[in-house]
Amino acid sequence: MPPTHISNAAFKTLRASSRCSTAAAQRCLYHSYERPASPPFPPAESAILSSALSHVPSYGFTSDALKLGARDAGYLDASTNLLPRGVFDLVSYHLVTQRLALRDSVQFPSHSEQGAGKILGVGAKAIAIMAQPTYVPASFAELARLADEIWFLAGDTSVDTSWYTKRASLSAIYSAAEVFMTQDTSKDFVETEQFFDARLEDAIKVGGFLGSLGEWVSYTGHSAVNVLRSKGVRI
Amino acid sequence: MNVTTSRVLLKRQLLAGGKRRAIKEPFRCFSCSARQFQQPPSPKSSQDAPGTTHFGFETIAEALKEQKVKTVFSSVASSYDTMNDLMSLGIHRLWKDHFVRNLNPGRNPLTSSSASPSEQGWNILDIAGGTGDIAFRMLDHASTINNDAHTKVTVADINPEMLAEGRKRALETPYARTPRLDFVEANAEKLDMIPDASIDLYTVAFGIRNFTHKDVALREAYRVLKPGGVFACLEFSKVNSSLFDAVYKRWSFSAIPLIGQLVAGDRDSYQYLVESIERFPSQTEFRDMIKDAGFLVPGQGWEDMTGGIAAIHKGVKPL
Repeated sequence: MPPTHISNAAFKTLRASSRCSTAAAQRCLYHSYERPASPPFPPAESAILSSALSHVPSYGFTSDALKLGARDAGYLDASTNLLPRGVFDLVSYHLVTQRLALRDSVQFPSHSEQGAGKILGVGAKAIAIMAQPTYVPASFAELARLADEIWFLAGDTSVDTSWYTKRASLSAIYSAAEVFMTQDTSKDFVETEQFFDARLEDAIKVGGFLGSLGEWVSYTGHSAVNVLRSKGVRI
Repeated sequence: MNVTTSRVLLKRQLLAGGKRRAIKEPFRCFSCSARQFQQPPSPKSSQDAPGTTHFGFETIAEALKEQKVKTVFSSVASSYDTMNDLMSLGIHRLWKDHFVRNLNPGRNPLTSSSASPSEQGWNILDIAGGTGDIAFRMLDHASTINNDAHTKVTVADINPEMLAEGRKRALETPYARTPRLDFVEANAEKLDMIPDASIDLYTVAFGIRNFTHKDVALREAYRVLKPGGVFACLEFSKVNSSLFDAVYKRWSFSAIPLIGQLVAGDRDSYQYLVESIERFPSQTEFRDMIKDAGFLVPGQGWEDMTGGIAAIHKGVKPL
Protein backbone atom coordinates (compact mmCIF):
# COMPACT_ATOMS: atom_id res chain seq x y z
CA MET A 1 0.00 0.00 0.00
CA PRO A 2 2.51 2.68 1.08
CA PRO A 3 4.68 2.29 -2.06
CA THR A 4 1.63 2.82 -4.33
CA HIS A 5 0.62 5.89 -2.39
CA ILE A 6 4.11 7.31 -2.62
CA SER A 7 4.36 6.61 -6.31
CA ASN A 8 0.92 8.16 -6.87
CA ALA A 9 1.93 11.24 -4.95
CA ALA A 10 5.22 11.47 -6.83
CA PHE A 11 3.42 11.06 -10.12
CA LYS A 12 0.94 13.77 -9.19
CA THR A 13 3.66 16.23 -8.22
CA LEU A 14 5.54 15.47 -11.40
CA ARG A 15 2.47 16.03 -13.49
CA ALA A 16 1.59 19.23 -11.63
CA SER A 17 5.07 20.64 -12.06
CA SER A 18 5.30 19.78 -15.72
CA ARG A 19 1.93 21.23 -16.55
CA CYS A 20 1.68 24.98 -16.44
CA SER A 21 -1.17 25.97 -14.16
CA THR A 22 -3.41 28.76 -15.38
CA ALA A 23 -2.13 31.07 -12.68
CA ALA A 24 1.46 30.62 -13.84
CA ALA A 25 0.45 30.47 -17.50
CA GLN A 26 2.09 33.82 -18.20
CA ARG A 27 5.50 32.40 -17.33
CA CYS A 28 5.28 29.50 -19.80
CA LEU A 29 7.59 29.84 -22.75
CA TYR A 30 5.39 27.78 -25.03
CA HIS A 31 1.77 26.75 -25.24
CA SER A 32 -0.42 24.25 -27.01
CA TYR A 33 -1.53 25.29 -30.50
CA GLU A 34 -5.15 24.96 -29.44
CA ARG A 35 -4.75 27.45 -26.61
CA PRO A 36 -6.62 30.67 -27.51
CA ALA A 37 -4.24 33.59 -27.80
CA SER A 38 -4.53 36.21 -25.07
CA PRO A 39 -5.54 39.62 -26.44
CA PRO A 40 -2.39 41.48 -27.51
CA PHE A 41 -3.47 44.83 -26.07
CA PRO A 42 -5.25 45.71 -22.80
CA PRO A 43 -9.03 46.27 -23.15
CA ALA A 44 -9.09 50.07 -22.95
CA GLU A 45 -6.30 50.45 -25.52
CA SER A 46 -7.94 47.86 -27.78
CA ALA A 47 -11.21 49.79 -27.69
CA ILE A 48 -9.56 53.08 -28.66
CA LEU A 49 -7.28 51.55 -31.32
CA SER A 50 -9.97 49.45 -33.00
CA SER A 51 -12.26 52.44 -33.44
CA ALA A 52 -9.29 54.57 -34.53
CA LEU A 53 -8.53 52.03 -37.28
CA SER A 54 -11.88 52.76 -38.86
CA HIS A 55 -10.77 56.39 -39.37
CA VAL A 56 -7.43 55.47 -40.91
CA PRO A 57 -8.71 55.32 -44.53
CA SER A 58 -9.75 59.00 -44.32
CA TYR A 59 -7.15 60.44 -41.92
CA GLY A 60 -4.21 58.06 -42.32
CA PHE A 61 -2.10 56.91 -39.39
CA THR A 62 -2.23 60.25 -37.60
CA SER A 63 -3.09 61.54 -34.17
CA ASP A 64 -6.35 62.90 -35.62
CA ALA A 65 -7.43 59.33 -36.34
CA LEU A 66 -6.49 58.41 -32.76
CA LYS A 67 -8.46 61.27 -31.25
CA LEU A 68 -11.54 60.52 -33.35
CA GLY A 69 -11.25 56.86 -32.41
CA ALA A 70 -11.02 57.77 -28.73
CA ARG A 71 -14.15 59.88 -29.01
CA ASP A 72 -16.02 57.10 -30.81
CA ALA A 73 -15.10 54.64 -28.09
CA GLY A 74 -16.57 56.97 -25.48
CA TYR A 75 -13.25 58.36 -24.22
CA LEU A 76 -11.89 61.90 -24.31
CA ASP A 77 -9.26 63.38 -26.62
CA ALA A 78 -6.94 63.33 -23.63
CA SER A 79 -7.34 59.54 -23.38
CA THR A 80 -4.96 59.09 -26.31
CA ASN A 81 -2.28 59.53 -23.64
CA LEU A 82 -3.05 55.91 -22.75
CA LEU A 83 -0.97 54.96 -25.82
CA PRO A 84 2.65 55.61 -24.87
CA ARG A 85 3.95 55.43 -28.44
CA GLY A 86 1.19 57.40 -30.09
CA VAL A 87 0.59 56.62 -33.77
CA PHE A 88 3.10 53.79 -33.70
CA ASP A 89 0.72 51.94 -31.38
CA LEU A 90 -1.97 52.32 -34.04
CA VAL A 91 0.30 50.88 -36.75
CA SER A 92 1.38 48.10 -34.40
CA TYR A 93 -2.23 47.26 -33.54
CA HIS A 94 -3.06 47.00 -37.24
CA LEU A 95 -0.10 44.72 -37.92
CA VAL A 96 -0.73 42.49 -34.91
CA THR A 97 -4.45 42.03 -35.58
CA GLN A 98 -3.77 41.23 -39.23
CA ARG A 99 -1.07 38.72 -38.27
CA LEU A 100 -3.34 36.98 -35.77
CA ALA A 101 -6.07 36.88 -38.41
CA LEU A 102 -3.75 35.11 -40.87
CA ARG A 103 -4.53 31.70 -39.51
CA ASP A 104 -8.20 32.20 -40.32
CA SER A 105 -7.61 33.46 -43.84
CA VAL A 106 -4.92 31.02 -44.95
CA GLN A 107 -5.66 28.82 -47.91
CA PHE A 108 -3.89 25.49 -48.20
CA PRO A 109 -2.20 25.05 -51.59
CA SER A 110 -0.15 21.96 -52.25
CA HIS A 111 3.13 23.82 -52.52
CA SER A 112 4.95 26.88 -51.11
CA GLU A 113 3.64 29.66 -48.90
CA GLN A 114 2.45 31.77 -51.82
CA GLY A 115 -1.17 31.32 -50.80
CA ALA A 116 -0.67 32.37 -47.20
CA GLY A 117 -2.36 35.72 -47.51
CA LYS A 118 -1.62 38.83 -49.46
CA ILE A 119 0.74 41.70 -48.73
CA LEU A 120 -0.87 44.09 -46.25
CA GLY A 121 -0.04 47.30 -48.05
CA VAL A 122 0.22 49.54 -45.00
CA GLY A 123 1.27 52.51 -47.07
CA ALA A 124 4.19 54.91 -47.11
CA LYS A 125 3.11 56.83 -44.00
CA ALA A 126 3.01 53.73 -41.82
CA ILE A 127 6.40 52.61 -43.12
CA ALA A 128 7.78 56.06 -42.31
CA ILE A 129 6.41 55.82 -38.75
CA MET A 130 7.93 52.37 -38.32
CA ALA A 131 11.28 53.56 -39.64
CA GLN A 132 11.73 56.17 -36.89
CA PRO A 133 14.81 55.13 -34.89
CA THR A 134 12.92 54.78 -31.58
CA TYR A 135 10.52 52.32 -33.15
CA VAL A 136 12.89 50.38 -35.41
CA PRO A 137 13.53 47.55 -32.88
CA ALA A 138 9.80 47.07 -32.31
CA SER A 139 9.13 47.14 -36.07
CA PHE A 140 11.84 44.55 -36.73
CA ALA A 141 10.41 42.32 -34.02
CA GLU A 142 6.94 42.55 -35.54
CA LEU A 143 8.34 41.74 -39.01
CA ALA A 144 10.15 38.71 -37.61
CA ARG A 145 6.95 37.50 -35.94
CA LEU A 146 5.06 37.92 -39.19
CA ALA A 147 7.66 35.93 -41.16
CA ASP A 148 7.56 33.23 -38.49
CA GLU A 149 3.76 33.07 -38.63
CA ILE A 150 3.77 32.79 -42.44
CA TRP A 151 6.35 30.00 -42.47
CA PHE A 152 4.54 28.17 -39.68
CA LEU A 153 1.20 28.33 -41.47
CA ALA A 154 2.93 27.10 -44.64
CA GLY A 155 3.94 24.00 -42.72
CA ASP A 156 7.63 24.56 -42.12
CA THR A 157 9.15 21.95 -39.81
CA SER A 158 12.86 22.68 -40.16
CA VAL A 159 15.00 22.36 -37.04
CA ASP A 160 18.43 23.53 -38.27
CA THR A 161 19.94 26.86 -39.23
CA SER A 162 17.65 26.99 -42.25
CA TRP A 163 14.93 27.95 -39.74
CA TYR A 164 16.71 31.28 -39.34
CA THR A 165 17.74 31.76 -42.97
CA LYS A 166 14.21 31.07 -44.22
CA ARG A 167 12.68 33.64 -41.91
CA ALA A 168 15.40 36.20 -42.61
CA SER A 169 14.96 35.90 -46.36
CA LEU A 170 11.15 36.06 -46.11
CA SER A 171 11.37 39.17 -43.89
CA ALA A 172 13.61 40.87 -46.45
CA ILE A 173 11.38 39.94 -49.38
CA TYR A 174 8.17 40.93 -47.56
CA SER A 175 9.46 44.35 -46.56
CA ALA A 176 10.73 44.94 -50.12
CA ALA A 177 7.28 44.06 -51.44
CA GLU A 178 5.63 46.46 -48.97
CA VAL A 179 7.86 49.29 -50.12
CA PHE A 180 7.21 48.37 -53.79
CA MET A 181 3.48 48.46 -53.12
CA THR A 182 3.60 52.11 -52.05
CA GLN A 183 4.55 53.00 -55.62
CA ASP A 184 2.36 50.47 -57.38
CA THR A 185 -0.43 51.91 -59.51
CA SER A 186 -1.59 48.76 -61.30
CA LYS A 187 -5.10 47.36 -60.91
CA ASP A 188 -5.46 45.21 -57.78
CA PHE A 189 -1.74 45.50 -57.20
CA VAL A 190 -0.95 42.68 -59.64
CA GLU A 191 2.53 44.11 -60.17
CA THR A 192 3.27 43.76 -56.45
CA GLU A 193 2.23 40.12 -56.54
CA GLN A 194 4.43 39.53 -59.55
CA PHE A 195 7.30 41.32 -57.76
CA PHE A 196 6.78 39.15 -54.70
CA ASP A 197 6.68 35.94 -56.72
CA ALA A 198 9.76 36.93 -58.68
CA ARG A 199 11.71 37.64 -55.46
CA LEU A 200 10.69 34.28 -54.03
CA GLU A 201 11.90 32.57 -57.21
CA ASP A 202 15.17 34.51 -56.90
CA ALA A 203 15.57 33.38 -53.31
CA ILE A 204 15.07 29.76 -54.28
CA LYS A 205 17.46 30.11 -57.22
CA VAL A 206 20.13 31.87 -55.20
CA GLY A 207 19.81 29.32 -52.43
CA GLY A 208 20.16 26.54 -54.95
CA PHE A 209 23.14 28.23 -56.60
CA LEU A 210 24.95 28.78 -53.32
CA GLY A 211 24.38 25.19 -52.33
CA SER A 212 25.79 23.93 -55.64
CA LEU A 213 28.71 26.35 -55.45
CA GLY A 214 29.53 25.11 -52.00
CA GLU A 215 29.46 21.52 -53.19
CA TRP A 216 31.67 22.34 -56.21
CA VAL A 217 34.24 24.19 -54.10
CA SER A 218 34.33 21.36 -51.58
CA TYR A 219 34.73 18.71 -54.32
CA THR A 220 37.41 20.64 -56.19
CA GLY A 221 39.29 21.37 -52.99
CA HIS A 222 39.28 17.77 -51.83
CA SER A 223 40.29 16.59 -55.30
CA ALA A 224 43.21 19.03 -55.46
CA VAL A 225 44.45 17.97 -52.05
CA ASN A 226 44.23 14.30 -52.98
CA VAL A 227 46.11 14.84 -56.27
CA LEU A 228 48.88 16.67 -54.46
CA ARG A 229 49.10 13.90 -51.88
CA SER A 230 49.43 11.37 -54.71
CA LYS A 231 52.40 13.39 -56.00
CA GLY A 232 54.13 13.06 -52.65
CA VAL A 233 53.37 16.46 -51.11
CA ARG A 234 52.86 16.06 -47.39
CA ILE A 235 49.47 17.67 -46.75
CA MET B 1 -1.64 90.27 10.56
CA ASN B 2 -2.06 86.86 12.18
CA VAL B 3 -0.83 85.17 9.01
CA THR B 4 2.29 87.32 8.93
CA THR B 5 3.12 86.75 12.59
CA SER B 6 2.63 83.01 12.29
CA ARG B 7 4.80 82.99 9.15
CA VAL B 8 7.52 84.94 10.92
CA LEU B 9 7.31 82.65 13.93
CA LEU B 10 7.63 79.56 11.77
CA LYS B 11 10.48 81.05 9.79
CA ARG B 12 12.25 81.72 13.08
CA GLN B 13 11.52 78.15 14.10
CA LEU B 14 13.14 76.89 10.91
CA LEU B 15 16.14 79.15 11.35
CA ALA B 16 16.40 78.16 15.02
CA GLY B 17 16.47 74.55 13.90
CA GLY B 18 19.33 75.51 11.63
CA LYS B 19 21.16 77.23 14.48
CA ARG B 20 20.77 74.12 16.59
CA ARG B 21 22.43 72.18 13.78
CA ALA B 22 25.11 74.86 13.64
CA ILE B 23 25.93 74.37 17.29
CA LYS B 24 26.76 70.71 16.66
CA GLU B 25 28.85 71.53 13.57
CA PRO B 26 30.36 74.93 14.19
CA PHE B 27 30.59 76.23 10.62
CA ARG B 28 28.49 76.09 7.48
CA CYS B 29 30.56 74.44 4.85
CA PHE B 30 30.29 72.77 1.48
CA SER B 31 30.56 69.31 2.91
CA CYS B 32 28.43 69.57 6.03
CA SER B 33 25.26 68.80 4.10
CA ALA B 34 27.10 65.96 2.43
CA ARG B 35 28.16 64.69 5.86
CA GLN B 36 24.57 64.87 7.00
CA PHE B 37 23.58 62.82 3.97
CA GLN B 38 26.27 60.21 4.58
CA GLN B 39 25.00 59.61 8.11
CA PRO B 40 21.71 58.38 6.77
CA PRO B 41 18.47 59.25 8.55
CA SER B 42 16.24 56.71 10.29
CA PRO B 43 15.68 53.81 7.89
CA LYS B 44 13.36 54.78 5.08
CA SER B 45 10.26 52.99 6.28
CA SER B 46 6.65 53.82 5.79
CA GLN B 47 6.10 52.86 9.41
CA ASP B 48 6.40 56.30 10.99
CA ALA B 49 4.76 56.76 14.37
CA PRO B 50 1.04 57.31 13.85
CA GLY B 51 0.16 60.94 13.21
CA THR B 52 3.65 61.82 12.01
CA THR B 53 5.06 62.19 8.55
CA HIS B 54 8.37 63.09 7.00
CA PHE B 55 9.49 66.63 6.21
CA GLY B 56 12.69 66.02 4.32
CA PHE B 57 14.69 63.85 6.69
CA GLU B 58 12.88 65.12 9.80
CA THR B 59 9.84 63.45 11.27
CA ILE B 60 7.14 65.88 12.26
CA ALA B 61 3.49 65.83 13.22
CA GLU B 62 1.22 65.56 10.17
CA ALA B 63 -0.68 68.70 11.05
CA LEU B 64 2.53 70.70 10.86
CA LYS B 65 3.71 69.56 7.44
CA GLU B 66 1.28 71.69 5.45
CA GLN B 67 2.30 74.84 7.28
CA LYS B 68 6.00 74.06 6.98
CA VAL B 69 5.69 73.43 3.25
CA LYS B 70 3.86 76.73 2.89
CA THR B 71 6.71 78.46 4.68
CA VAL B 72 9.32 76.87 2.45
CA PHE B 73 7.60 78.04 -0.69
CA SER B 74 6.88 81.50 0.68
CA SER B 75 10.56 81.98 1.08
CA VAL B 76 11.51 80.63 -2.35
CA ALA B 77 8.67 82.20 -4.36
CA SER B 78 10.46 85.23 -5.69
CA SER B 79 13.64 83.49 -6.75
CA TYR B 80 11.92 80.25 -7.79
CA ASP B 81 12.93 80.41 -11.44
CA THR B 82 16.53 81.40 -10.80
CA MET B 83 16.89 78.60 -8.32
CA ASN B 84 15.37 76.05 -10.68
CA ASP B 85 17.76 77.14 -13.42
CA LEU B 86 20.75 76.87 -11.14
CA MET B 87 19.78 73.55 -9.63
CA SER B 88 18.94 71.75 -12.85
CA LEU B 89 21.29 73.77 -15.09
CA GLY B 90 18.30 74.96 -17.08
CA ILE B 91 17.14 71.44 -17.96
CA HIS B 92 13.86 71.89 -16.07
CA ARG B 93 12.64 73.98 -19.01
CA LEU B 94 13.21 71.04 -21.36
CA TRP B 95 11.43 68.70 -18.98
CA LYS B 96 8.41 70.98 -18.75
CA ASP B 97 8.31 71.51 -22.53
CA HIS B 98 8.40 67.78 -23.15
CA PHE B 99 5.75 67.21 -20.47
CA VAL B 100 3.32 69.59 -22.17
CA ARG B 101 4.03 68.47 -25.75
CA ASN B 102 3.66 64.84 -24.81
CA LEU B 103 0.21 65.52 -23.32
CA ASN B 104 -0.81 67.50 -26.41
CA PRO B 105 -3.60 69.59 -24.87
CA GLY B 106 -6.19 71.23 -27.06
CA ARG B 107 -8.99 70.18 -29.34
CA ASN B 108 -8.46 71.00 -32.99
CA PRO B 109 -11.68 72.58 -34.33
CA LEU B 110 -10.97 71.22 -37.81
CA THR B 111 -11.14 67.60 -36.76
CA SER B 112 -14.08 67.93 -34.44
CA SER B 113 -17.62 68.07 -35.66
CA SER B 114 -19.70 70.93 -34.31
CA ALA B 115 -19.37 70.36 -30.60
CA SER B 116 -21.48 72.01 -27.95
CA PRO B 117 -19.76 74.96 -26.23
CA SER B 118 -19.18 72.90 -23.10
CA GLU B 119 -17.23 70.31 -25.11
CA GLN B 120 -15.04 72.79 -26.93
CA GLY B 121 -11.57 72.92 -25.52
CA TRP B 122 -10.11 71.09 -22.57
CA ASN B 123 -10.66 71.86 -18.93
CA ILE B 124 -7.22 71.58 -17.33
CA LEU B 125 -6.43 71.68 -13.63
CA ASP B 126 -2.83 72.44 -12.71
CA ILE B 127 -2.07 71.63 -9.08
CA ALA B 128 0.82 73.18 -7.15
CA GLY B 129 1.46 75.23 -10.24
CA GLY B 130 1.61 78.58 -8.50
CA THR B 131 4.04 80.42 -10.75
CA GLY B 132 2.20 79.25 -13.85
CA ASP B 133 5.07 77.52 -15.68
CA ILE B 134 2.96 74.59 -16.83
CA ALA B 135 -0.28 76.56 -17.22
CA PHE B 136 1.17 79.06 -19.69
CA ARG B 137 2.82 76.29 -21.67
CA MET B 138 -0.47 74.40 -21.87
CA LEU B 139 -2.38 77.42 -23.07
CA ASP B 140 0.28 78.29 -25.65
CA HIS B 141 0.36 74.73 -26.95
CA ALA B 142 -3.44 74.55 -27.23
CA SER B 143 -3.66 77.91 -28.96
CA THR B 144 -0.74 77.65 -31.38
CA ILE B 145 -0.36 73.94 -32.14
CA ASN B 146 -4.00 72.85 -31.96
CA ASN B 147 -5.66 76.16 -32.86
CA ASP B 148 -7.89 75.82 -29.86
CA ALA B 149 -9.13 79.07 -28.35
CA HIS B 150 -11.36 77.48 -25.72
CA THR B 151 -9.08 75.36 -23.55
CA LYS B 152 -8.95 76.73 -20.02
CA VAL B 153 -6.54 76.15 -17.18
CA THR B 154 -7.24 76.50 -13.47
CA VAL B 155 -4.08 76.94 -11.42
CA ALA B 156 -4.41 75.76 -7.84
CA ASP B 157 -1.74 76.23 -5.19
CA ILE B 158 -1.65 76.07 -1.42
CA ASN B 159 0.62 79.10 -1.18
CA PRO B 160 -0.75 82.59 -1.84
CA GLU B 161 2.69 84.04 -2.61
CA MET B 162 3.30 81.55 -5.41
CA LEU B 163 -0.16 82.40 -6.78
CA ALA B 164 0.61 86.12 -6.61
CA GLU B 165 3.80 85.47 -8.53
CA GLY B 166 1.76 83.52 -11.09
CA ARG B 167 -0.80 86.31 -11.47
CA LYS B 168 2.04 88.77 -12.01
CA ARG B 169 3.55 86.64 -14.75
CA ALA B 170 0.15 86.06 -16.35
CA LEU B 171 -0.06 89.78 -17.09
CA GLU B 172 2.61 89.30 -19.74
CA THR B 173 0.64 86.57 -21.50
CA PRO B 174 -2.49 87.10 -23.61
CA TYR B 175 -4.53 85.07 -21.12
CA ALA B 176 -4.36 87.35 -18.10
CA ARG B 177 -7.91 88.64 -17.82
CA THR B 178 -9.67 86.03 -19.89
CA PRO B 179 -11.84 83.15 -18.68
CA ARG B 180 -9.09 80.84 -19.98
CA LEU B 181 -6.88 81.28 -16.91
CA ASP B 182 -7.95 81.16 -13.30
CA PHE B 183 -5.95 81.12 -10.05
CA VAL B 184 -7.40 79.51 -6.95
CA GLU B 185 -5.91 78.83 -3.52
CA ALA B 186 -6.55 75.22 -2.66
CA ASN B 187 -5.12 72.18 -0.95
CA ALA B 188 -4.78 69.26 -3.36
CA GLU B 189 -6.21 66.90 -0.77
CA LYS B 190 -9.44 68.90 -0.58
CA LEU B 191 -10.61 70.38 -3.87
CA ASP B 192 -14.14 71.29 -2.84
CA MET B 193 -14.48 74.08 -5.37
CA ILE B 194 -13.92 71.66 -8.28
CA PRO B 195 -17.04 69.62 -9.15
CA ASP B 196 -16.87 65.84 -9.73
CA ALA B 197 -15.96 64.58 -13.21
CA SER B 198 -15.31 68.04 -14.66
CA ILE B 199 -11.61 67.99 -15.56
CA ASP B 200 -10.03 66.61 -18.75
CA LEU B 201 -6.44 66.86 -17.58
CA TYR B 202 -5.04 67.08 -14.05
CA THR B 203 -1.36 67.99 -13.93
CA VAL B 204 1.05 68.37 -11.05
CA ALA B 205 4.64 69.36 -11.78
CA PHE B 206 7.23 69.14 -9.00
CA GLY B 207 4.53 69.48 -6.38
CA ILE B 208 3.37 66.06 -5.32
CA ARG B 209 6.42 65.27 -3.19
CA ASN B 210 5.31 68.08 -0.87
CA PHE B 211 1.85 66.68 -0.23
CA THR B 212 1.21 65.31 3.23
CA HIS B 213 -0.97 62.46 1.96
CA LYS B 214 -0.23 61.57 -1.64
CA ASP B 215 -2.89 58.86 -1.74
CA VAL B 216 -5.59 61.32 -0.66
CA ALA B 217 -4.47 63.70 -3.40
CA LEU B 218 -4.60 60.84 -5.92
CA ARG B 219 -8.13 59.99 -4.86
CA GLU B 220 -9.16 63.64 -5.15
CA ALA B 221 -7.66 63.65 -8.64
CA TYR B 222 -9.70 60.55 -9.46
CA ARG B 223 -12.85 62.28 -8.23
CA VAL B 224 -12.47 65.50 -10.22
CA LEU B 225 -11.41 63.85 -13.48
CA LYS B 226 -13.96 62.96 -16.16
CA PRO B 227 -14.06 59.28 -17.20
CA GLY B 228 -11.24 59.00 -19.73
CA GLY B 229 -9.46 61.98 -18.17
CA VAL B 230 -5.72 62.01 -17.62
CA PHE B 231 -3.66 62.41 -14.45
CA ALA B 232 -0.11 63.52 -15.28
CA CYS B 233 2.67 64.07 -12.80
CA LEU B 234 6.20 65.40 -13.45
CA GLU B 235 8.41 64.80 -10.43
CA PHE B 236 11.93 64.07 -9.34
CA SER B 237 12.57 60.36 -9.12
CA LYS B 238 15.21 57.71 -8.65
CA VAL B 239 18.18 57.70 -10.98
CA ASN B 240 18.67 54.45 -12.91
CA SER B 241 22.43 54.02 -13.01
CA SER B 242 24.20 53.70 -9.65
CA LEU B 243 27.33 55.44 -10.92
CA PHE B 244 25.40 58.47 -12.11
CA ASP B 245 23.39 58.30 -8.89
CA ALA B 246 26.51 58.76 -6.75
CA VAL B 247 27.48 61.88 -8.71
CA TYR B 248 23.91 63.20 -8.62
CA LYS B 249 23.55 62.72 -4.85
CA ARG B 250 26.87 64.46 -4.29
CA TRP B 251 25.67 67.41 -6.37
CA SER B 252 22.23 67.55 -4.70
CA PHE B 253 23.33 67.43 -1.11
CA SER B 254 26.48 69.50 -1.43
CA ALA B 255 25.88 72.11 -4.07
CA ILE B 256 22.19 72.88 -3.95
CA PRO B 257 21.86 74.05 -0.34
CA LEU B 258 25.03 76.06 -0.84
CA ILE B 259 23.59 77.72 -3.96
CA GLY B 260 20.41 78.39 -1.98
CA GLN B 261 22.45 80.08 0.72
CA LEU B 262 24.43 82.20 -1.73
CA VAL B 263 21.67 83.15 -4.16
CA ALA B 264 18.51 83.25 -2.07
CA GLY B 265 19.96 83.49 1.42
CA ASP B 266 17.93 80.50 2.52
CA ARG B 267 19.84 77.30 3.01
CA ASP B 268 17.18 75.46 4.96
CA SER B 269 14.50 75.60 2.29
CA TYR B 270 16.84 74.09 -0.25
CA GLN B 271 18.02 71.50 2.21
CA TYR B 272 14.36 70.56 2.61
CA LEU B 273 13.95 70.40 -1.16
CA VAL B 274 16.78 67.92 -1.73
CA GLU B 275 15.71 65.82 1.25
CA SER B 276 12.13 65.66 -0.02
CA ILE B 277 13.44 64.46 -3.40
CA GLU B 278 15.35 61.71 -1.63
CA ARG B 279 12.24 60.66 0.28
CA PHE B 280 9.94 60.45 -2.72
CA PRO B 281 8.97 56.87 -3.72
CA SER B 282 10.63 55.20 -6.70
CA GLN B 283 9.07 55.02 -10.14
CA THR B 284 7.53 51.57 -9.63
CA GLU B 285 6.20 52.42 -6.16
CA PHE B 286 4.56 55.58 -7.36
CA ARG B 287 3.13 53.81 -10.40
CA ASP B 288 1.55 51.29 -8.04
CA MET B 289 0.09 54.10 -5.93
CA ILE B 290 -1.48 55.57 -9.07
CA LYS B 291 -2.94 52.17 -9.96
CA ASP B 292 -4.27 51.73 -6.43
CA ALA B 293 -6.19 54.99 -6.80
CA GLY B 294 -8.06 53.36 -9.70
CA PHE B 295 -6.23 54.73 -12.73
CA LEU B 296 -5.24 52.78 -15.84
CA VAL B 297 -1.60 53.17 -16.60
CA PRO B 298 -0.11 53.45 -20.13
CA GLY B 299 2.73 51.06 -20.97
CA GLN B 300 5.06 50.68 -18.00
CA GLY B 301 3.49 53.69 -16.36
CA TRP B 302 6.26 56.27 -16.40
CA GLU B 303 8.83 57.90 -18.64
CA ASP B 304 12.31 58.72 -17.32
CA MET B 305 13.96 62.01 -18.11
CA THR B 306 17.70 62.62 -18.01
CA GLY B 307 18.51 59.16 -16.75
CA GLY B 308 15.78 59.10 -14.10
CA ILE B 309 16.41 62.44 -12.39
CA ALA B 310 12.82 63.32 -13.23
CA ALA B 311 9.97 61.12 -14.37
CA ILE B 312 6.56 61.66 -15.94
CA HIS B 313 3.83 59.43 -14.50
CA LYS B 314 0.48 59.18 -16.24
CA GLY B 315 -2.84 57.59 -15.39
CA VAL B 316 -6.15 57.50 -17.22
CA LYS B 317 -9.47 57.25 -15.40
CA PRO B 318 -11.41 54.27 -16.77
CA LEU B 319 -14.92 54.72 -18.18
